[in-house]
Amino acid sequence: MTYSSTLAMGRGASAANMRGQNSVTFKVTDRRLGPVSNTIILIVLACLLGLLYLTQVTKTNSYGYKINSLQQQQSKLQQQHEDLSVASARLQSIDQVASSATAQGMTPVAPSGSVQ
Amino acid sequence: MNQQPVQREINPIQRARLWYALLLIVFGIFAVRVFYLQVIRYDYYKKAALNTQLKQYEIPAERGIISAQYSGSTVPIVMNQKLYTLYADPVTVKKPVQTAAKLQPIIGGNVDTITKSLKSGGGLRYVILARKLSPAQSTKILKMKLPGVGTQEQDYRTYPQGTLAAQLLGFVSNDGSGEYGVEQALNKQLQGTSGQLKAVTDVNGVPLAASANNILTEPVPGSDVDLTVDVGMQSGVEKIVKAAQEQYKSKSVSAVVMDVHTGAIKAMANYPSYDPANYQQVDDAALFQNQAVTEPIEPGSITKVLTTAAALQKNVITPTTTFYDPGSWPIDGSNVADVEEDHSTGQQSVLSTLDKSLNTGATWMLMQMGGGQINFQARSTLYDFFTNRFGLGQATGVEQGYEAGGYVPKPQNTGSGINLTYANMSFGQAYSATALQMAAALSSVVNGGTYYQPRLIEQTISGNGQVTKIPPKVVAANVVSTQTSNEVISLLEQNNTNHVKEGFSYLNFGSGYGVGGKTGTAEVANPVGGYYADRVNGTYMGFVGGNSPQYAIVVYNMQPTKYNGFAGSGTGQPVFANIAHMLINNFGVTPRNP
Repeated sequence: MTYSSTLAMGRGASAANMRGQNSVTFKVTDRRLGPVSNTIILIVLACLLGLLYLTQVTKTNSYGYKINSLQQQQSKLQQQHEDLSVASARLQSIDQVASSATAQGMTPVAPSGSVQ
Repeated sequence: MNQQPVQREINPIQRARLWYALLLIVFGIFAVRVFYLQVIRYDYYKKAALNTQLKQYEIPAERGIISAQYSGSTVPIVMNQKLYTLYADPVTVKKPVQTAAKLQPIIGGNVDTITKSLKSGGGLRYVILARKLSPAQSTKILKMKLPGVGTQEQDYRTYPQGTLAAQLLGFVSNDGSGEYGVEQALNKQLQGTSGQLKAVTDVNGVPLAASANNILTEPVPGSDVDLTVDVGMQSGVEKIVKAAQEQYKSKSVSAVVMDVHTGAIKAMANYPSYDPANYQQVDDAALFQNQAVTEPIEPGSITKVLTTAAALQKNVITPTTTFYDPGSWPIDGSNVADVEEDHSTGQQSVLSTLDKSLNTGATWMLMQMGGGQINFQARSTLYDFFTNRFGLGQATGVEQGYEAGGYVPKPQNTGSGINLTYANMSFGQAYSATALQMAAALSSVVNGGTYYQPRLIEQTISGNGQVTKIPPKVVAANVVSTQTSNEVISLLEQNNTNHVKEGFSYLNFGSGYGVGGKTGTAEVANPVGGYYADRVNGTYMGFVGGNSPQYAIVVYNMQPTKYNGFAGSGTGQPVFANIAHMLINNFGVTPRNP
């Protein structure tokens, strides 16, 4: 006899309502989680959700550091621009121009006469 | 029969239920506690958290830049620069001598002075060791990581043109407010509006992006200002007044150059002056004042131009009217005579009143306004011209701090020698005016009769780039008629020509240009009463142009001590001539049509 035919026989035997005391019965039972397991799983799921939220918030907050770093760079560049503007203005000042080599090389010209 | 004790077996299901109940109780306790903390006590803990996490920063606004005219465009003359203040916490500095020795090569100064500051007692936690350090100096200091020593970034005003127009510009004090000059007058527009950042931060103060409580208000930069002043003209006038102060050993010299057709101030200079970048080193605060607008004086005989204009406008005289000069006029028990020129009695004219600067002539003009005598009608007429038409006795509203309005006595008879007062007024004493007021008054006489408000601002540019041009503002129209204006111009040009003939060759501008003016030698009022016997001011008021006047020039030479002749012709007139020549040679004064 094969295993499957044995099963078939068993099924038939159960239909005869336990005539043979040595027959094997197979009963399909529902697998269920107990209340403790349910509770623990729910708690774990809640923690996972919380962790997910924390991850997102931390990621967003990390942008604050990036923003701060970019702002510092921007500040530095603005300051360099300001310094250069000031230096440029100083180079164009009247005193600077008057004391330049080009100006020193010029010959003063007195007006030859008034315009008639 | 012996019986075995009955062993009760705990049902596994019951055991599970027991554990389950225990678990529920424990988590129930947690849930209740969490509910209490996060719902019941929500406000309390939120407030406590925000107190430590939420930081509020003020974001300072960039102060506006001040520019001036230069060869058809503008150049910045006041800018901003970020520099560093070096500070120390004396309590934290453990080795002040060594610290000072390390700092001195970078910041300069005296090691002992620095050491003394670092040893400051009394629980002082903040001392300033140096200001205005460059970024490179700050970096060097921070790299040394000296305990208790740090640098703080701060905005400073910087002046690329050096000390140019110092008193006209003013400066910005350490608390960020403008003092004196344009900086004070336009402080609100220049300073902008600070921004604000309220943010949850980390332990280092870096704002975190994920907070719903973050508030960011961007700062609004201050408006930039373009002045009417020409940098080249200002520089030239400053050199001239400086040379004059040194030559005549004056207390001070002031000069104003104004565009007669718009009221725009092209140059306004005083000497002595100061360096606005180092204003803290100035001991005498009077040096910060722009004397051309803050110090009214009795202007002296330059006033005769205004008295002549008033008399011509009232048609009580003409340019060719003559009169008999008795040498002095008895008024209110005193004799009004001449000071500047000595002459005998006889026929005089309007022109000779100006040429010889006759006090008797000016008094005579005033008398004509009253039908032949100084009375309420004459006084009211002169008062009306001086105050309502020529703008004297009140501030002009120019964009300067501490502008003075001067003083013009009212014509009502107060029983205190009012006629004598007005006689004096007609030739420039007994009232006071600033150099700027006289320039504006002369402009209104020679430009055809329009009194423009003197102004320093050409345009402003707001933080968002909006340009606002400031047009010339007419305060009073028809102060004199076109005919009167032309007559005064002609008289003053003839006066100038006469002075050339009298030997003042530097007043020769040739026939291609129209130049005219009047000298003034003014007595200096003594605060305790009367006038000083040994002090006078040399003044000059004139114009330069071609077919019509283009620029009005007023010179106040205060209490010169080294000169020849009268102070007006000896110290005011040469300064005017130098400025007029400078304008003709360098600044495109349009000559007469051939």
